[in-house]
Amino acid sequence: MSLSYSFKSAFQSLCREKWINILSIFTVASSLLIITLTAFFLYNIEIISNHLPERFSIVAYLKDNLSQEETQTIIDALKKRGEIVNLKYISKEDAINELQQALKDTSYILEGLSENPLSSSIEIRLKKDFVTSSSARQISEEIKKISGIDDVYYGEKIAEAIYLLKKSIQNISIIIFLTISTGVVFVTYSTVKILFYRRKEEIEIIKLLGATKGFIRMPFLIEGSAIGFFGGVLGIIGALLFYFAITYRLSMVIPMLKTLVFPLEILVLLPVTGILLGIIGSVIALGRLRL
Amino acid sequence: MIAFQNVSKFYENQTVLKNITFTVRKGEMAFLTGPSGAGKSTLLKLMYLAEWPDEGDIVIGDHHLQSLRMPEIPMLRRNIGVVFQDFKLINNLTVFGNVALALRIRGVSEKEIKNLVSEALKKVHLRHLSDSHPRSLSGGEQQRVVIARAIVAEPVVILADEPTGNLDPNTSADIIRLFEEINLQGTTILIATHNRELFRNTGRRVLKLDGGNLVAEEVG
Ligand SMILES: Nc1ncnc2c1ncn2[C@@H]1O[C@H](COP(=O)(O)OP(=O)(O)OP(=O)(O)O)[C@@H](O)[C@H]1O
Ligand SMILES: [Mg+2]
Repeated sequence: MSLSYSFKSAFQSLCREKWINILSIFTVASSLLIITLTAFFLYNIEIISNHLPERFSIVAYLKDNLSQEETQTIIDALKKRGEIVNLKYISKEDAINELQQALKDTSYILEGLSENPLSSSIEIRLKKDFVTSSSARQISEEIKKISGIDDVYYGEKIAEAIYLLKKSIQNISIIIFLTISTGVVFVTYSTVKILFYRRKEEIEIIKLLGATKGFIRMPFLIEGSAIGFFGGVLGIIGALLFYFAITYRLSMVIPMLKTLVFPLEILVLLPVTGILLGIIGSVIALGRLRL
Repeated sequence: MIAFQNVSKFYENQTVLKNITFTVRKGEMAFLTGPSGAGKSTLLKLMYLAEWPDEGDIVIGDHHLQSLRMPEIPMLRRNIGVVFQDFKLINNLTVFGNVALALRIRGVSEKEIKNLVSEALKKVHLRHLSDSHPRSLSGGEQQRVVIARAIVAEPVVILADEPTGNLDPNTSADIIRLFEEINLQGTTILIATHNRELFRNTGRRVLKLDGGNLVAEEVG
């Protein structure tokens, strides 16, 4: 089969039916742009939320009057656990100093105390994957059983929120991607269907001359993927314009926007996605060809 | 070789071809005649499967149409060059493009296509109209484009449905001479026509069709 002919034929058809094609390229471009912008925001939310678990900690309060060896035994026991990234021992003296610093001018309220009322504690940071409310609870309960530990505190609500945020980011991206992709497939499907019917007579003639199904389908597949490809390229242009608009213009007003990151993978992913969805649409449009 | 064995074709309740049996030998040039509506075009259509026979078996070369599988249909059609009665030219292709199409579907290289197409156009005296579009041609010119397309890929069988219907007597004689030349190289040719001039005194076999029945076989 001569591919150069199929390409030429597809190109001629793209030019001949330019309005239909331009319209669907723009539709595909704006759909892909929506996917990109969603991906862009989710990507940035993801970057930010990836740092959240680092701030999450479990605090284990130690019983009073533990010897140095006893304290060390507890620290060693904790260090053996795989879920923990690092530990920080805070003696009761450190704690009161910290409190004094925090109170600053009002630190006189501590002056009446004859004895340090605070406990020594160990601040525990978990690996990202364990920052869910269920595993944080389980780990806290296990830590509580270690002898010498008085009580364990962790921010259940925070762990829950971080976990939910990440889960919903994933779900939202999947839903948006599926919905818009279906839309893109439908656009190329109807375009190719229309182009096919416009050339029905010609196709009947080519069949009688002895063309294979592949020969008949090829120009339409090329045309469908071209619509997807150009849609993707146009989508990139739109996404870049949008990105520069928010980072350069809006960041004067909202400085935080300056830290947004543009994922470079989009430059490749968008046209490739366009081509794939275009081919899927065309294949469905051509359906079962009868010779 | 072409062989029909008890072939019938029905359209709704109308019998268009009834129990047709005949053979055309490999390398033979024969005629098919009969009044308008006799079923000539339909009979030809059954051979390149524009229509399917309702009864009986047809053999074209190595292909038994009864047991033909889908992917073999293009191969069968490439063995047959058809001069369609209604031309079937593509209007947004040039004369060159129309003739070239028969080669492009066969995957012939562009360089070869150039040579073969201009040779075929020369044979039907249309080289000067290579870049014209079919719509701008006279009926006779269009008909000769169709003939060029049918012969350009050198098929083993040529089916010509009223190939001189739009031609003056001189050009008609030219075309018949062209078919005779091609036939001399071993191509099997069947020409459907109601113009008796084409086969008079040729000494070739003439199959007579009337009302869907094969009524006679004579020598022209
Ligand atoms: N698609 C169809 N549907 C219904 N009837 C058809 C169809 N095609 C042909 N016929 C009928 O079949 C009969 C034979 O038609 P056909 O075209 O084979 O005749 P023909 O011998 O080629 O005539 P002509 O010399 O005018 O070309 C006619 O009566 C025609 O009306
Ligand atoms: Mg006819």
